[in-house]
Amino acid sequence: MTTDFERYWDDTLNELAGYPAAPEVELLPMRCADFATMYGVRLTGVGAYRLFGYLSVPRGDGPFPAIYFAPKYQSVLEPIPQGAANFLRSRFVVFALAGRGQRLSDKPYSAGFPGLLTECIDDAHSYIFRGIAADSARGLDYLLTRDEVDAERVVSIGNDMALVAAALQEGATHVICQPGLFVDTLAMAARTGDYPLEEVNDYLNLYPERRYAVEDTLANFELSKFAERVNARTLLLAGAPGSMLDAGGLSAVSGAIAGDVSVYESQSSSYKDGLHQEEWLAREFGFADAILPEHWR
Amino acid sequence: MVNSDYKCSVEKPDDFDEFWGDVLDDAARIPLNAETVPLPMRSSDELETFEVTYDSLDGVRVAAWYCMPREREGPLPAVVFMPGYQSDPAIPKDWARRGYAAVTAAPRGKLRSNGQFNPGYPNLLTHNIVDRNTYSYRGFYVDAWRTIDYLLTRDEVDSERIGIAGSSQGGGLTITTAAMRPEVKVASAGAPYLCGFMDAIELTSSYPYQEINDYLRMHPDSRADVERTLAYFDGISFADKIKCPIIMNIGLQDNVCPPETGYALQDAIGSDDKRLYAYDGHGHEAGRYKHTAIITEFFAEHLQGTSS
Repeated sequence: MTTDFERYWDDTLNELAGYPAAPEVELLPMRCADFATMYGVRLTGVGAYRLFGYLSVPRGDGPFPAIYFAPKYQSVLEPIPQGAANFLRSRFVVFALAGRGQRLSDKPYSAGFPGLLTECIDDAHSYIFRGIAADSARGLDYLLTRDEVDAERVVSIGNDMALVAAALQEGATHVICQPGLFVDTLAMAARTGDYPLEEVNDYLNLYPERRYAVEDTLANFELSKFAERVNARTLLLAGAPGSMLDAGGLSAVSGAIAGDVSVYESQSSSYKDGLHQEEWLAREFGFADAILPEHWR
Repeated sequence: MVNSDYKCSVEKPDDFDEFWGDVLDDAARIPLNAETVPLPMRSSDELETFEVTYDSLDGVRVAAWYCMPREREGPLPAVVFMPGYQSDPAIPKDWARRGYAAVTAAPRGKLRSNGQFNPGYPNLLTHNIVDRNTYSYRGFYVDAWRTIDYLLTRDEVDSERIGIAGSSQGGGLTITTAAMRPEVKVASAGAPYLCGFMDAIELTSSYPYQEINDYLRMHPDSRADVERTLAYFDGISFADKIKCPIIMNIGLQDNVCPPETGYALQDAIGSDDKRLYAYDGHGHEAGRYKHTAIITEFFAEHLQGTSS
């Protein structure tokens, strides 16, 4: 029996399929290096929305393992994440996509921060993250069309949208996900005063009569439901023990992932957490060593 | 192992004070024209939130968030929060809940302040980097410093109790603001960016400093000009002007802002009341999870006259 969740996303993906990606690829000399070439890529997403991504391809003969950085809740699109060793681009094809509303994918919609999480949240069809989830799937799909990519080693990395992309689009062999938005969102928002979840509190404070509509929308975004569709080997990055989204807080997600999953609880150190992530990925992709930034070696 | 005696190569230009004096003279000719608009959606029974805009150098309109507790007895101490390089400024509700008037700046190029100036990210760091008179951070710094002018217009703020804090770029902006604005009575800088630029690009290969290496690879002949410009904007060149109590935290495994530059900055700070917290086993978050409580206590002691 098809559930409302499945119907919602089947409809969304069917709609997405009606829009060819129509990629345009442009060399970006400023971001090239001796070991990698950088391109800007434009793609069409659902609703005829033009998106932008950075694509970095190692020099030399491929195919290469690939990293997909899924859209995030932030305005800036990074070619690779701040703090990552630039030399990562010598080993991996790297594709980072800006979802609609982020800079470079901000025509016609330019997101506010705060603002993005609750944009049209009272209407499931219009909710901005329906489009962003579809963007996330489109980005992964595009990456897999690249001849330089080793299809046996493709990881989707990011926050909630990393897992969502792997659920909606086949092809990710691995996922590294640090959830923050769509794990029992209303309950989690009630426990914090920090953004981005504070957006939900702000919204319901101003529009209390829309609570049921918000619940209906968010039911389509519960991460544990996406997890059931994910067969990739997954590293789930949880908060520090005792925090809202610690391993216990993510148990519904980790328990639902169809593929092999390991859960790592933060040690409240971006160094220790980042090192674990880089070493996990190197191991999973069969490399003897991870490529690390200078101060982590 | 990080060398705690590391010295950065930057040399403060002889005409540093003259350059910034001229910039401030230019800025002083531009009225603030501040507007403070209530935001009911971001307010509550407990606190009020406002969107602020004001004019800055070159006539650029700059945005900020402003929060304060609804229940107030007498003038409030105030805290300015400076944003990171890529992040957009958060609404400072947490500090308003602690009894402060709190403002977060969005200097030019940030969302809501990018109508007239928008070099983008990456790019901000190298925008006009060969010319100190048009370099992006000339206006960016002034935009940040003008948050102090904004606070001085507010009746509910005690102008004798203003503090400033930030991490990463926010840490760098904290340094320059504390240096240039004597109204700042206490400061906290985390993992300071914009300090020791030319050393940082050798010590790390990560963005955002990598932007400078990208630029120099494309424009190798411009290296001397780049170095000359950045000396006017380096936090280390400003640091001797800081006279207020200041704490700084760095992570010894910081992969974004090399800890060596943090040590060099600490050495250059002019205040007699300065303390460095160096967190081993920590990266760019610079021990935030432990250090937040230290900042809270430090500000409470200096701005609220209380201490736990």
